[in-house]
Formats: sequence, structure tokens, C-alpha cells
Amino acid sequence: MLPSGVFFRDFAAEAAYLRTGPQRLALALFVLALVLLPALAGAYLVGVITLMFVTMIAVLGLQITVGMAGMINIGQSAFVGIGAFVSASLASKLGWPFWLTLPAAALAAGVSSLLFGLPALRIKGFYLALTTVAAQIVFPIGIARLPSAWFGGSSGLAVEPVSIFGHALLKQHELYYFNLAFVLLFALLAFNLKRTRVGRALIAVRDNDIAASVLGVNIGYYKLVAFFVGAVFAGVAGALLGYVVSYVTTDHFTLWLSIWYISMLIVGGMGSPLGAIFGTVVITALQESLHALGNAAAARFGSDFGAFIFPATNSVLGVLIIAILVFQPHGLLTGWNTLKAAYRIWPYRHHGG
Amino acid sequence: MNSFLQALASGTLTGLLYGLIALSFVVIYRAARIVNLAQGEVLMAGAFTIWMMTLAAGLPTLLGSGLALLAAALIGLVIERLVFRPLIGRPTTTIVLASVALIIVLRGASQMVFGPETRPFPQVLPAGAFKLGPLHLNLALTIGAVLTLVVTEALHRFFMNTKAGLRLSAVAEDHMTALSMGISVRRSAAIAWALGASLSALAAAIYLSGAALDVSVAGIGLRALPVALLGGMESVRGATLAGVLVGVGESLASTYLDRHTSGAMSQVFPFLVMIALMLIRPQGLFGWKVIERV
Repeated sequence: MLPSGVFFRDFAAEAAYLRTGPQRLALALFVLALVLLPALAGAYLVGVITLMFVTMIAVLGLQITVGMAGMINIGQSAFVGIGAFVSASLASKLGWPFWLTLPAAALAAGVSSLLFGLPALRIKGFYLALTTVAAQIVFPIGIARLPSAWFGGSSGLAVEPVSIFGHALLKQHELYYFNLAFVLLFALLAFNLKRTRVGRALIAVRDNDIAASVLGVNIGYYKLVAFFVGAVFAGVAGALLGYVVSYVTTDHFTLWLSIWYISMLIVGGMGSPLGAIFGTVVITALQESLHALGNAAAARFGSDFGAFIFPATNSVLGVLIIAILVFQPHGLLTGWNTLKAAYRIWPYRHHGG
Repeated sequence: MNSFLQALASGTLTGLLYGLIALSFVVIYRAARIVNLAQGEVLMAGAFTIWMMTLAAGLPTLLGSGLALLAAALIGLVIERLVFRPLIGRPTTTIVLASVALIIVLRGASQMVFGPETRPFPQVLPAGAFKLGPLHLNLALTIGAVLTLVVTEALHRFFMNTKAGLRLSAVAEDHMTALSMGISVRRSAAIAWALGASLSALAAAIYLSGAALDVSVAGIGLRALPVALLGGMESVRGATLAGVLVGVGESLASTYLDRHTSGAMSQVFPFLVMIALMLIRPQGLFGWKVIERV
């Protein structure tokens, strides 16, 4: 909703992504803050945020498959893993630079997702969630059994650091900027998808697939597109993750991780990319602060307490996710949007809508 | 020839165990229209309950296990009341996602209470193997197989021939229709969860008898999922039959194909079946075919 008193005289201004001066200013300030952050924050925090960027790309992709096209995917981390292994293998065994390994990883993840998305042509709803579980279970077995010359088998692969114009990115803040560039790019793609023909077709399929097909939307094709695009995001996230942690094994990409990805989406709100971003930030912040609290408590009360506090953290977050599903099914973002609307139409009252 | 027969027999026994776990999926789906992806975690909770009642509380094994089945039903009721009842009438997506969150809660809670260590599981069923002609059969699994067949037949009769069972089936068709016919969706869901959770605990007793218990046992839940789908999410007998099919397939794959794939084929087999099934016959062998009217 626009602030009252703001209107446009031509369509181009109406359709623009950023429509008002304050919006542009807010975005510019936000990006500036992100750029300045490494100068202000400690190395640990910068590392956490770098990993959060990678997660964010995977969750943005998940938002397209789950939120936009309405197909539950609980195998996203398998596609992240495929991206990570393909990129790691190409980078360390063939010496490809990152601008080749990233697209290759994206393509590999996208194509393999089609295999598990293919049943989407015949089924809908929860059944699809089950084929993505299959992806999650087949992936580590596949990697471990393929010739170890390809992906390092069950022991994993070391990843050469990213090198730009012959300069290897080894420092924490260099990796931060590298990942920041990609998260900005992919956030832009995700935000814009909704405004394209493909995006609207995906939303139509989610809202009512029969009505969509009557309108001439090829349901099967667009379902596969949703899977493919979501997995492309995952593949890129995987390649980036490989560069950040510099070693990939199948242990990184478990069902557990997929569950967290989907939880981030639930918490933020599945309806928009902003929800994906919001959820990733909220869950990462909660996990980190609860773990910090737990560590402090463990240092004080002994390691037995530490063994108790970490699963307790998970239980608390799990209960939080169920509470959000029950009481705020559109995610925490709804609250933010209500606040924003209330601010904009102040001093009048907001009557939901 | 002997190795073939042996593979058939042991595949059937393991398959019936899968069938029993698949039954717990089917019962909850059939009576509440809830796809519970956390079924493995519910099984794990049942296993911990059995451990508490027997080895921790010192009750005789069979008595303790029997009490544990009741306690597991109680756990099921609590889960239904706190997580799924508020979601009645919500889209399937939301319900599936809630079950995903339940995975996090149950794993976290059980580690909180029991810690990460592996503990011994009581010998609920007698250990050892016996010879039947040329075959060696695991005694615990054989008793479990007989139990599974009895439970299947009882549940089938319950759902098909009793008024209470037919009410549950109406809920599985459609919440709204069931409500408008005066059937309580809440009560059906509660019955389903109590039944489903005790079935999981029974499966845990057969699966783990004399083995070790830790959080990783929850993994069997998702391994049994393809079985439930193959049989059809609504079919009680289908679940058991599909269990046998998948068990035998897995065991044949492990006897004849694992040599060539360094042990991968038997693990991947159920999931390959699942993906093929989704393409060919999504409703499973005996599931209800949903016809949509617009």
C-alpha cells in the first residue's frame, strides 16, 4: 500500500519496482549498511552473516517452489548439496574459475530436481513432498557410491578458494562481500519473478490449478519450472557454501537442514521473497543467540548442562514454528505489513483487508 | 535356489515390519487426513517410553511394554490436541509443514530428556533364530510378522465393518462433509492418533527388541513411507501387502544387485519404487482415486 497522497500519472511509474523517493533512500541506506557492516562487526559475526547469505539464497529458491508455486519441497538441502559437490569437483579437479562453476552447479541442481519434480505432472499436494524426501535420502547414498574420483565419495572434497583476477579470497570480509553480491543479485531475481509472466503463471497454478489450465497455463510445464528455478537457487547456494566452508561432505546436507530451510520460510511467511529473507534472519539470529546463551550457561553450570541446552534450543524453535503455523499462518511478515499499513494511514484506523 | 528362498523369507519378515509402520501412517491418514511425516519420531518416542517402563522402571518386560503402548497412545493424544487440532480445516500444506516442525520438537525433546547416548533396548520378543526347512528365520521378526497380520485384519474389520470405523473413513474423505453429517472430526483425529502412536510403539518393540536405542531410530519412519504410498494411503490391507512387496524387493536387491552397486541398491530401492509409483499410479495399489469436480 502506498502512503496517502502519492499517485502516478503514467504506467511506467506505477509499475516501477521502487516507486517513491523514500523507498529508494531506504534501500540505498540498507545496502550501504550491509557494505559497511564488516568494518563494524567482529570476525565471528561476519562469518555468521556470510553463511546466512548462503542460506538465504537457498531459502529464496524454496520460496519460489513452495510459496509461489505451492509445492512442498523438503529436499532443498539435497539440491544445495548437488550444487556444492558439482562446483567443488569442477573447481578442485579441473581448476574451473567460480564464474564457470556457479552456473554449472546451478544447472546440475536444476536438472536433477527435474527428476524428482517429474511426478508433479501427475500428482499434487503432499505427495510431492514425499518425492523430495526421496531426493534427500538418495543424494548422500548416490554421492558415496559414485566413483570417488568424481566427488570424493563419502570422505568429501576440499574446495579451492575463489580467485578473482588472480587474487584468492581468503579473508572473512572478502568472502562476505563475495556472497553479499550474490545474495543481492538473487534477491533481485526472486523479487522480480512475481512481476513476470512466469511468476504469475506459478501463482495461478498454486491458487487453483484447474482454473489456471482453463486460462491456458500449461500446469505441468510451470510446475517443473518452479522446481527447476528453486533448485537453481539451491545449486548456487551450494557452490557458494563450498567456497565459504572450503570443504564439502554429504554430512552438511541432511534432511535436518532441509527442515530448517522450510522452517525459515514458515516463520518469515511463504507469500513473498521478503518473507524468506525475514525468516532466514530471524531463525539465524534466534539460533545464534540461543546458542550463545547456552554456551554461557554451559561454561557456568558445566558441560552436562550444555548437552541439555542445545536440544532444548531446537525444541523451543520447533514449538515456535508450530505456534506460527497455528496463530500466524502467513508468517511474521504479516505483522510487519500490518504495522506498515497502520503507519501509512495514520491517524485513521486500519480495518484489515 | 536356497539363497533365493532365504531372501524371499527374510524379505517378507522385514517387509511386514515396514508394513506395520506403514499402518501407523495409514491409520492417521485414514481417520484424520493428516500426513504425519514425523511418524518415525513418534516411533522413537514410543521406543523411549518402552525403555522407561521396562529397563528404567524395572517392570517385567511384557507388562512394561504393554503399559508403554498405552502411554504411547497418550503421547499421540497430546500431539493431536496441541499440534493438529488447531489445524483442522486448514490446507494440507499447512498440516504437512506442522508435521515437519513436529520432527524438530520431538527430536529436540527426546534428546533433552534422554541425552545423545545410545542405550540398550529391552529384549521384548525372544532373541535368536529358528530353522524352517532350509530357511533360517529371525524369531523376533517372525512373532512380529504374525502380530502385524493379526493387527492388519483387526484394523481392516474395524474400518470396514464397525460404525466407529466408518465414521473415521468419512473424515478421511472430507472434513467438511463429515462435520455436516454430524461426525466429530476432533474425536476421529484423537482416536486416529492414539491408535497410530500405539502401533508405532508396537513396531518399535519388534524393530528394536534386544538392539540399541538412540535418536537415529527415527530414520525408519521415512523408509516406511514409500510402503504406505505403494499400498495406498487409505488402505489397511494394502499397507501390509506393500510392506511385503517392498521388503522382498529390497532383500532381493541386496542379495543380487548390491554386489554391483557396493550396497546402494537395497537402500535406494524403496524410493525408486516410490518415484515410479508417483508417475504410474499416484493413488497406490489400493488407495482411493480422487476425482475432482469443478
